[in-house]
Amino acid sequence: MDQLLPGDIVEAGKLFPEALAACADLDALLRLKGAYVGREGSHAAHMMDLLKAAPKDQKRDLGAAINAFKQQWEEALKLRQAELESAKKARSAQAANWDPSLPPPRPAEGALHPLNRLMDRLVEVFRPLGFHVEEGPEVETEAHNFDGLNIPEDHPAKASSDTFYLAAHPELLLRTHTSPVQVRTLLRIAPELAARGGVRFLAPGRVYRKDEIDPTHSPMFHQVEGMLVGHDIGMQHLKGTLEYALRALFGPHTEIRLRPSYFPFVEPGCEVDVSCPLCDAKGCRVCKGSGWVEILGAGLIHPNVLSYAGIDPNEWSGWAFGMGVERMAMMLSQTPDLRLFFENDQRFLRAMGGLD
Amino acid sequence: MWIERKVLAQELPAVAGLDTRHVCELLAALGFPVDGVVNREGTEALDVDITANRGDAMSHRGIARELATKLAQPMAPLAPAEPVEGTPIVDVRLEVMACPVYSTAVLELGSGSTPLDVQAFLLALEASPKRLPAVDASNELLHRYGHPTHAFDADRIEGAVSVRWARAGEALITLDGIERTLTSLDLVIADEQGPIALAGVMGGERTKVTEGTRRVLLESAYFDAKTVRAAARRHSLHTDASHRFGRGADPAMARIARNLLVERLTQWCGARLMGAWTAGSLPVPAAPTFLKTALLARVAGEILSLAEAEEILERLGCSVAMEAHGLRVQAPTWRHDLVIAEDLAEEVLRLRGYERIPSVLPPMEGPPQTLSATYLQRQKLSRRLAHLGFHQTVTYGFISPEADAAFSAPDNPPEGRTLSNPLGLEYSVMRGSLLPSLQATAEQNLRQGAREVRLFELGPAYTSSPGGPREVPSLALVWGGTLGGQDYLTPARAVREADLTGIAHDLGLTRAPEVRSLGEGLFGLELPLADLPLAGDRIIPAFRPFSRFPVVERDLSLLVDLGQTYEALAAAMRVALPADTLQDLRCVDVFRHRSLPEGRQAWLLRMRFQADRTLVGDEVDGWVAAALGAAESLGAKLRA
Repeated sequence: MDQLLPGDIVEAGKLFPEALAACADLDALLRLKGAYVGREGSHAAHMMDLLKAAPKDQKRDLGAAINAFKQQWEEALKLRQAELESAKKARSAQAANWDPSLPPPRPAEGALHPLNRLMDRLVEVFRPLGFHVEEGPEVETEAHNFDGLNIPEDHPAKASSDTFYLAAHPELLLRTHTSPVQVRTLLRIAPELAARGGVRFLAPGRVYRKDEIDPTHSPMFHQVEGMLVGHDIGMQHLKGTLEYALRALFGPHTEIRLRPSYFPFVEPGCEVDVSCPLCDAKGCRVCKGSGWVEILGAGLIHPNVLSYAGIDPNEWSGWAFGMGVERMAMMLSQTPDLRLFFENDQRFLRAMGGLD
Repeated sequence: MWIERKVLAQELPAVAGLDTRHVCELLAALGFPVDGVVNREGTEALDVDITANRGDAMSHRGIARELATKLAQPMAPLAPAEPVEGTPIVDVRLEVMACPVYSTAVLELGSGSTPLDVQAFLLALEASPKRLPAVDASNELLHRYGHPTHAFDADRIEGAVSVRWARAGEALITLDGIERTLTSLDLVIADEQGPIALAGVMGGERTKVTEGTRRVLLESAYFDAKTVRAAARRHSLHTDASHRFGRGADPAMARIARNLLVERLTQWCGARLMGAWTAGSLPVPAAPTFLKTALLARVAGEILSLAEAEEILERLGCSVAMEAHGLRVQAPTWRHDLVIAEDLAEEVLRLRGYERIPSVLPPMEGPPQTLSATYLQRQKLSRRLAHLGFHQTVTYGFISPEADAAFSAPDNPPEGRTLSNPLGLEYSVMRGSLLPSLQATAEQNLRQGAREVRLFELGPAYTSSPGGPREVPSLALVWGGTLGGQDYLTPARAVREADLTGIAHDLGLTRAPEVRSLGEGLFGLELPLADLPLAGDRIIPAFRPFSRFPVVERDLSLLVDLGQTYEALAAAMRVALPADTLQDLRCVDVFRHRSLPEGRQAWLLRMRFQADRTLVGDEVDGWVAAALGAAESLGAKLRA
C-alpha cells in the first residue's frame, strides 16, 4: 500500500513515533500535530491533495491508505497530549505545595532571668500556705538592717569593710540581707496582728555585701526571706513548712535535716540541709559525697525582734528563714561561675531562664 | 578552728574509739559542722566551724565537753595542783570592772625546752611553736583549754602592775612590733612606765619573754568581752586571745589556767615557783533563768518531761532546780550565751537532736493576704516582655559616676546617691537610671555576635532627696541589631525607634514614650512603673456593645510636608470625622522618594468606618472629603 504514497510521506510516517516521544511539552506537541495533521501544509493535507488529484480507479485504495496514516497519527497524538497534560497538572499541583520542612518564621524568643524565675517559683510554692509577698527598699536604715534584728551594736557585719554606706547619709546603708523586711512588716502590722490572725510572708529581693567580684562572690545578690507569726509557733512548724516547701521544690522524696546553728535574730537557730537533689542523696561532687546540701538558715524569731516591733513575745511567736538565691541556682544548675548571672548574655538567659 | 584528734581523745577518752566520720557527724548534729579533715604531723586535725555565740567551744576541752554531753561520757579530770597563794611579789591593782579577776605567779625559769609532743600538737593546729616554754605553754593552754594567758618578763616590769583604762594618746608597741596609739576605751595592763599589754588582745614588746628571760610573771585573768572586741576592732588586731575573750571566756578558768601554766613550766624546764596570788574575785553570776514547761513545749512542738530537760541541762553544767511550772536554771560560768528561756529550750532540743523535732504544718489563724498590685504588675510585665522576645537582666544597682551622669536627670545630683565605701569608682553611685547598665549589657551581647539584642530590667532607679536616695521602681528596655531575615517569609531590617514605641504602647503606656538612641541601631526606653497600668480591680471590664454591620475602609494618599507630624494631621482629620463611626485612622505607609516634589513625602492613611446600620457610599464619601479638607488646611494635597 505504501507504494501508493510518495516517498517523503512514507519517510515522515517512519519518523513520527520518534518525533512524538521527543515532545517534552504541549507546545511541542501542538507543533508536531500541525506538521502531521493540521489543516494546511501538513502531511495529512498534502495527502488529501494527492487524493484529489489521483485517477479515479486508485482513489479507493489511496483513500484507505491515507486514512490509516491519519488515524494512526491522531490517536498517538491524543494519547501523548493526555500524558503531557497530566504531567503539567502534577507540576502545577507541586508548585502550589510549599515544602513544609523549610524553616518557618518563629516568634521572637525572650527569657526571664533565672534568679527571678527561682524566686517566683519559691513564691508559687508558698502561696498555697497563705504566704504573700512583702518588699522593702534596698537602701535601708541601720535600725532596720541591724538593730531591729537583735544584732548587737558592735557586730562586725556593721563595719564599713562588710557593709556599704551612703556618703551623704551615714545612717543609711545598702541592706545586707532581706531581713529588714521582717522588721518593717512587723512594725507596720503590729497594731492589727490580732485582727489579721498573725502574718506569713516571703520577702524576695536584692541585697548587698562588700565582697570583691569573683567566681563565688558578688557585691550584690538575692535572698528570699520567709516569716510566720502566730500563736504557739514552734520548731515543729518550721520543720513542717520547710519539709512541704522543699519537697514541692525538689521532689516528693526529698528529706530535710535541721542542724543547730546561730543567728542573732532567731532562737533556737538552725541550718537546713536537703537530701542532694542532684544525686538522690547517693553522694556526688555537689554534696561532697555526704548526700546533703545546705540550703538555708532558719529558726524561731528571737523575742527581742518581736518586742522591737511592739509585738508581745509572750503572746506571739513565729519562725523565719533566709536563703541565698544564687547559691541555690548555682547548685541546681551547676553553673560554674556566679558572674554569669550578672553578665546577662542572651544565650545564658535563654538556656537558664527561658519562659514558664 | 583546728581540733587535733589525739588531744581531743585525751580530754574525752570515749572519742578514742570512734571513727572520725562519726565524730564529724556528732559535731554537726551539735551545731559544729566540720569543714574538713587533714592529716598533719602524724595525726588528724578537724576544721571545726564554731558560731560566734560559742566562745566556750573554742578549744579542745570545749569541743570535748560538747561531745561528752551528747554521748553522756565522762571527761578527763582537770585538777592541776593548786599552789599555795601568798603575798604578791608584784603589786597587781585592778582598777576597773572590766577585769574582775587576775591570777598570777612569778617563776624562775630553769633549763629545758617545750616537749616534742606539745610542739607537734601546735604544728598540727598550724600554730608555730617558739621553743620558749613560757610562750609555748601559754599557747598550748589556749588551744587546749580555751583560756588565753600571757607571760611577761618579770625583770622588765617596773614597779606595780595595774589593769586600767589607757590614757588617750598613750602608746604601746605590741608583740607584732607595731606602735599603737591607745584611746581611753582601751583596757591595758600597765606598769609604772606605761602600758605593757592590750588586755585580752596582745602583749607588749617591752616586757616580752625572750631566750634571755630568767623570771616570768604569769597573767591568767578574765576580761570583759565587749571591751576586748572593741579594742581588737579599733586596732584591727584580731588574735587567738581576742577571739576567745571577745566571745566570752570562763572567769572560773583564770585560776585553773594559772595553775596549769605553773605546772607545765615546772615540768618542762624545772621552773621554780617564787609566789602565786590572785587579785580580785569572780564576777557575780547572772540571775538564774526560768524555763517554763509551756515555753519548752511550745518551742519543742511536743510536751517534754521536765526530768529529761533537767537531766540534759545538768549534763551541760547548769545548776537546775525543778519547780511547779518549770526549771530554774543557773548557766555554768563558761556559757555566756544562755540568757533567756529560749536559749535553754534550744539546748534541750539540741542535745536531744533536732531530728526528733516533729514536723507539723502551722494552722491558718486568719485569711491569707493577696499579692500586692505592684508585685503583680511586675510579674505580668516581665512575662509579657519575655513573650515579646525580651530577655530579663539583673545588673548591679551601683555604677560609675560617668555612666550615671550620661543618663540621670539634671535635677538628680549624684552626691546624695554616692557610697562612702564603694568597691571602686565604677561601683560608687546608686544609679539614677537603669539604662547605662542595659546599654553596656546590650553592647556586650552584640560584641559577642548576637544579631539582635532585646533586654529589659525591672528594678529601682534612685533619686537624691534630703532624706536619702528615693527608690523609683522602673522598667528599662533596650532593643537593637537586625530584625527578621531568619526565614524565607520575613525580610531583614534594622531595629527602629518605632519598634520600642510599639512595645511601650503594648505595655499600656498612654503617652508618647521618650525612646533614646544609644548608639548606632540601639534604642533604649526607661519608664517609672507608676506610668504603666496596674492590674485592674475588676476581673472583667464592663461590657461595651460593638456593631455587627459591615466595615467600610477608605484610603487617602496624601502628599504632606516633610516637617508635618502625623499626630497633628490625624488630630485635625479626626475633628472632621464622625467620632461614633470612625473605628480607626492610621498611617499605613510612608513613601519618601526623589520622584516626589521636593520637601514633600507621601502618606497612605486608612480610615475604617462602622455604625449600627449599613453605611451608604455617599455619606462615607462625604466624610472622606471632609477629612481631606482638614488635611488640606494643613497643607496636604491629594496625591495624583
